[in-house]
Amino acid sequence: MLVLIVLTALLMAPLGLFARHESRPVVGWILALIPLALFVTISALAPTVLAGGRVEQAIPWVPRMGLELRFALDGLSLLFALLVSGIGTLIVLYTAYYLAGDPGMGRFYLTLFIFMGAMLGLVLADNVLTMFMFWELTSVSSYLLVGYKHDYPSARRGAQMGLLITVGGGLALLVGLVLLGNAAGSYTISEILAAGEQIKASPLYTPAMLLIFAGCFTKSAQFPFHFWLPNAMQAPTPASAYLHSATMVKAGVYLLARLHPTLSDTPLWLYTLTIVGMTTMLIGAVTANRRDDIKGLLAYSTISKLGTMVLLAGMGGPEAPAALVATILAHALYKGALFMLAGAVDHEAGTRSLSQLGGLRRAMPWTAALAILSSLSMAGVPILFGFVAKEEQLYAAVDNGLPPGFDILVLIAVVTSAVFGVLYSWRLVSGVFFGPRGSGMKEHVHEAPAGMLLGPALLTTLSVVLPLGLLPATATLLQPAVNAISNEGAKISLYLLPSQIGLPLILSMTALLIGAVLTRFEPQIVAAPSPLPPWLNGDRIYDAAVDGVLRGATIFTRTLQNGKLRSYMTWAVLTLVVVVAPPLALFGFGGLALPTLDGVEPFEFVSALLIPIGIVATLNARSRLGGIIAASFVGLMVAFIFVIYSAPDLALTQLLVEILTTVFLVLLFAVMPASFERLSSPSERSRDGLIAVVAGMVIAGVAFAASSVTQVPNISAAFRTESQSQGFGDNVVNVILVDFRGFDTLGEIVVLFTALLGIYAMLRLRPVADPTRDDEETPLQPTLPEVAALLGNGQAGQPAPREREAPVAGKGH
Amino acid sequence: MTFVLSLVVGTLFAGAAYLMLRRSVVKLILGMALLSHGTNLLLFLMGDGVVKGMPPFVDEATGVTPTAAADPLNQALILTAIVINFGFTAFILALAYRANQAVGSDDLDDMVETDRL
Repeated sequence: MLVLIVLTALLMAPLGLFARHESRPVVGWILALIPLALFVTISALAPTVLAGGRVEQAIPWVPRMGLELRFALDGLSLLFALLVSGIGTLIVLYTAYYLAGDPGMGRFYLTLFIFMGAMLGLVLADNVLTMFMFWELTSVSSYLLVGYKHDYPSARRGAQMGLLITVGGGLALLVGLVLLGNAAGSYTISEILAAGEQIKASPLYTPAMLLIFAGCFTKSAQFPFHFWLPNAMQAPTPASAYLHSATMVKAGVYLLARLHPTLSDTPLWLYTLTIVGMTTMLIGAVTANRRDDIKGLLAYSTISKLGTMVLLAGMGGPEAPAALVATILAHALYKGALFMLAGAVDHEAGTRSLSQLGGLRRAMPWTAALAILSSLSMAGVPILFGFVAKEEQLYAAVDNGLPPGFDILVLIAVVTSAVFGVLYSWRLVSGVFFGPRGSGMKEHVHEAPAGMLLGPALLTTLSVVLPLGLLPATATLLQPAVNAISNEGAKISLYLLPSQIGLPLILSMTALLIGAVLTRFEPQIVAAPSPLPPWLNGDRIYDAAVDGVLRGATIFTRTLQNGKLRSYMTWAVLTLVVVVAPPLALFGFGGLALPTLDGVEPFEFVSALLIPIGIVATLNARSRLGGIIAASFVGLMVAFIFVIYSAPDLALTQLLVEILTTVFLVLLFAVMPASFERLSSPSERSRDGLIAVVAGMVIAGVAFAASSVTQVPNISAAFRTESQSQGFGDNVVNVILVDFRGFDTLGEIVVLFTALLGIYAMLRLRPVADPTRDDEETPLQPTLPEVAALLGNGQAGQPAPREREAPVAGKGH
Repeated sequence: MTFVLSLVVGTLFAGAAYLMLRRSVVKLILGMALLSHGTNLLLFLMGDGVVKGMPPFVDEATGVTPTAAADPLNQALILTAIVINFGFTAFILALAYRANQAVGSDDLDDMVETDRL
């Protein structure tokens, strides 16, 4: 069932392409049936989970690597899967209106469904490797969605930045997950959690966790990787609302929550997550107030809330899991709605800039009403679900599991971010819907189409209705998710009004009050300098890093691949020396017998020594003929070595080949310069000589070590005994070549034939020298007969020009 | 004797490397010839050791090859290598011939932009 859910979204993705031919919104209503069906199916599984059960399914994939498509549905997966499919339904519908008439709509739907399948796979996976695969698939589909308007450089940059950062983090995550799997002895998430104590005692715990944190922090836009999220706002608004607010960016939080039950109670977990989450929360909240673009404002507020979630996952305490779950739900409800409404405003008014918008409440009353309600929820104003979640956050922050001193700091940070939350919510509403009419808007602004408002209306209604009597039911629904995050039996109890007025409520009201006062100072706060020092600008660091890599690659390529054969040769030879020499020196000569001269006759020495003499003669040859003769002499001496040491077949072949090669060389040199010029400088020659001598010494060492090791029994013995009985031949070498390894010989013949074809092509077929051709500028143009030959039609061309090159072709044969 | 032959292999490789680092096409080809000799001899030494006067032939009396005879396996491999290397050398020679016609030079540095030919 679970596999089917994931596969449905992925396999139905091509259906999205129908939107290419049908640009009316009706296509959205039809396509929305897919995620709706998924939502209903997942809901149908909910009773099992609510009853404390668990739905599992596994398909073996690569069993030897511990890789299997294993899926499980528990409370946490259920919450995320419902969010992904539920909000997905609304987004699919919304897209039909937002992108109406856009020729790329089919492509957008295709990618959106792929993302949906990947995200469902991610939250349902019960195997860390399966989860990782879907994790990366969400990064890739996010890249495609952000780069949807690929005509714009900013969209391409945003897409690339998101991809590089999340996939870079993904690499760290993969290593972390593998370490985790090794420490646990299993890649199944439930078994990893069961082995929590064993993992924490393992030395792999710290590196595994740090790498997993890197993956989660990049994915969930935590400081200092947060800057990719605002840049990803180049995506069409449906994608921003879906991926970069409601679902994908929460994947990091999801994984942290997933590992929370048994891996969390260590100082590493506590301090890393608390500090990073707190920093992100504050930076996001402050920066959101400095943004003019409403999507940018929402992006930074998302970063702030993601920071809050990481903080809640990290800080411990009995209430933190419940607060985390409530925050995830509340944020998905109001932020999903606000993004879609921001898209509606952009769509109708033609701008997203706060300084150009204003007074839209008359032109877009429904949009305004929904945005105001959702913003109130974002600000945490009572009776909305955002308030309930904020109460939970404060309750958790008051009763956190941090040491004294630090706990107060976290509490202050949470309250501060709540204050700024009020401020940016107010900026959004007052800047867009109130005040004088904006200057940069379209002439006639209309209300957004009803289909575009349906999604936000539904989400906003939930934000409003849930606290009005449905809180106990909501708590029941969320309890399994809390159970999945906490193994200490944390209970979620949502309330609108606490039974007694405690510290959380006082802090909440104080935050609202301070926030309301601060709205009077909005211009000063907007103009305030950035809280980060200028050098800590993620955008700039990213650009510098990308530029640096490209420049480094250019230098590297220019150095190594300069188009000169001998520099490649130099690098190859040096690499050989560097790679082979150290292991050879360390292990190559262990237990080697010193060379003895027993049974060695003088003529062996002499014939062996003649080879180096021939080499020296080759090197020193001043004329081409001298070089040929010296090299041939070396070849003949090698043949003589074969004669001495019982290899008559080799000697015979070598002799024949050497003679033929010499003949060819002489033919070639008929066209070459008569003598060698000194082309290299003396310093180059001595440098190359040094390289050559070192390489020769290494190879000599390899040869000696290889010839002296004790052989493991090899297949030569079988060849020796079965040569006559199986191959009916007395010469074992011949039998091997034509019988035992006959196919190898066939391959050898094919190689020779291919070489022959190549030689024929080079010597016989050639472009006709064109007198009109300018050697420096124009590339080679085929002449008419050549075109005819290439097309396989000899009659089409003029036969005449062929004769021109006949004398040249005949030369040397 | 393997020690002496190992040194010979080393000199073959050193000479080949030096020649292949030169700018002349002809020297490059000669270097490749030396390289193939060196490789063949290196393979030759990697068998069960070098044996004098005992080629891997079947003994008529017993019907099997004496175990003291030379290793047939690496001889078969080298035989293949020699032949393939011959095809390769012939190809390179034809290539050098064409290159010389096209560029009119023996200097590899004059062939940096041969992709335009």
